[in-house]
Amino acid sequence: MENTQTSQNTETGAAYNFAYLDEQTKRMIRRALLKAVAIPGYQVPFAGREMPMPYGWGTGGVQVTAAVIGPDDTLKVIDQGADDTTNAVSIRQFFAKTAGVATTEKTAEASIIQTRHRIPEKPLRDDQILVYQVPIPEPLRFLEPRETETRKMHALEEYGLMHVKLYEDISRHGHIATTYAYPVMVDGRYVMDPSPTPKFDNPKMNMMPALQLFGAGREKRIYALPPFTRVESLDFEDHPFSVQSWDDECGMCSATDSYLDEVILDDKGNRMFVCSDTDYCTERQDAGHRGPQHHDQPLGGKAAE
Amino acid sequence: MTAPHTTSGIAPDLLPGFEHDAFQSNAVFRTVLDAMSRPGNIYNLPISIAAPDGLNETATAFALAMIDMDTPVWLSPACISGAAITHLKFHCGCPIVDDAAKADFAFARLDDDLSFLSRLAVGNAEYPDQSATVVFMVDAISDHPDMILTGPGIKETHMLSVAGLPAAFHTWRRENTTLFPCGVDVIFASPHQIAALPRTTRIEVK
Repeated sequence: MENTQTSQNTETGAAYNFAYLDEQTKRMIRRALLKAVAIPGYQVPFAGREMPMPYGWGTGGVQVTAAVIGPDDTLKVIDQGADDTTNAVSIRQFFAKTAGVATTEKTAEASIIQTRHRIPEKPLRDDQILVYQVPIPEPLRFLEPRETETRKMHALEEYGLMHVKLYEDISRHGHIATTYAYPVMVDGRYVMDPSPTPKFDNPKMNMMPALQLFGAGREKRIYALPPFTRVESLDFEDHPFSVQSWDDECGMCSATDSYLDEVILDDKGNRMFVCSDTDYCTERQDAGHRGPQHHDQPLGGKAAE
Repeated sequence: MTAPHTTSGIAPDLLPGFEHDAFQSNAVFRTVLDAMSRPGNIYNLPISIAAPDGLNETATAFALAMIDMDTPVWLSPACISGAAITHLKFHCGCPIVDDAAKADFAFARLDDDLSFLSRLAVGNAEYPDQSATVVFMVDAISDHPDMILTGPGIKETHMLSVAGLPAAFHTWRRENTTLFPCGVDVIFASPHQIAALPRTTRIEVK
């Protein structure tokens, strides 16, 4: 007998359902997503599936994207800000193959952006969805390994331990030394792990016009931030939250307002800084911005001192 | 070869479901996701679908997109009908329960006895997601400022008006707000439009 699913696969030419997951799995994930949106920052358990990629490669984000994506979407995937790393390229190809959707490297052209550990520098719009790949969704996990206990702590809003951890940072280092996966308070109720994004990105989550969805495949949790939701980074009155800053500019596009990666150039101590958001950097270079190490520059780009 | 089964071969009165399961359920889900993410915003139903007696088009599309054998459904006296039960059982495969407390999804109309609302599952402090979603079939939704909404998903304030919304609803909804993070999420489904009130939304009634 004719398989009723066949007709919707002719576009992708594959023996998969649209976007790889079967419809029942997508419904289960979609129901979890709706509850996650209704309870911002709360981790909804879901029946995470085995995906054709290892845990740690974004299986949670991929399942969320698969449940959300439709044939008219345009997908962008970034890994540490870059569109051209293995993880980003393989996930983009996965959806190009299984869903036949358009893909892009341009932040402005994407309707869904799946990300590993960065938020694009270009402000996101209300018609975009940001999907985070999350390794460990529980912000209290390194302080309390038992899930039964962390559940209770969230239920009781018992977040003192997290403040103790930040305080210990201050007593040991003189400042809060947590630089990524910096815990946030969502709408004054749930402490949430923003995934291992640099704390530089935390302020972008606050009142973001785009919907933010988080998927943890190994831990089988989904959580969400609806648009325009208050997201505050935890801090102390005398040690207010602050983001990283750099003395250098981007070596390629001279940006001073973006998150910079340090690149070691040789064993003589030479190094350069470059935007981690490749699309942002490329767009600035296309607009004529030049950093000191750009190959257009005199001497074909000199190493920074 | 035997001819492919048609729905008429199984039950002559059965209405068709989604023409294109993957695409249409995705389109409906995205509309619901938008509505839930932006409380009070009114979205058009992106597809057209046949609705059985007792349900309207939007509620039917929502059911087909979101409900399956894992999610018990409760139908209020005003929307329960043989056709609706047959339709949901065939297309969704969901159990239909008599007790609203056992349902993941409840369907009702505003002229129903709203006392069922306080029986719906609200989840518990550790698992507030184990709560029901209620779909109210209504005649019309508009952005007339009868209700002023604030909360996550709303930049400043948002206006919403639902035709025929009784005082009993607001009384229940105020209690529901105090239960946070537990609580029931509400979806208003007019024949061709949808708007949502997740439990986080605070309502000022004008």
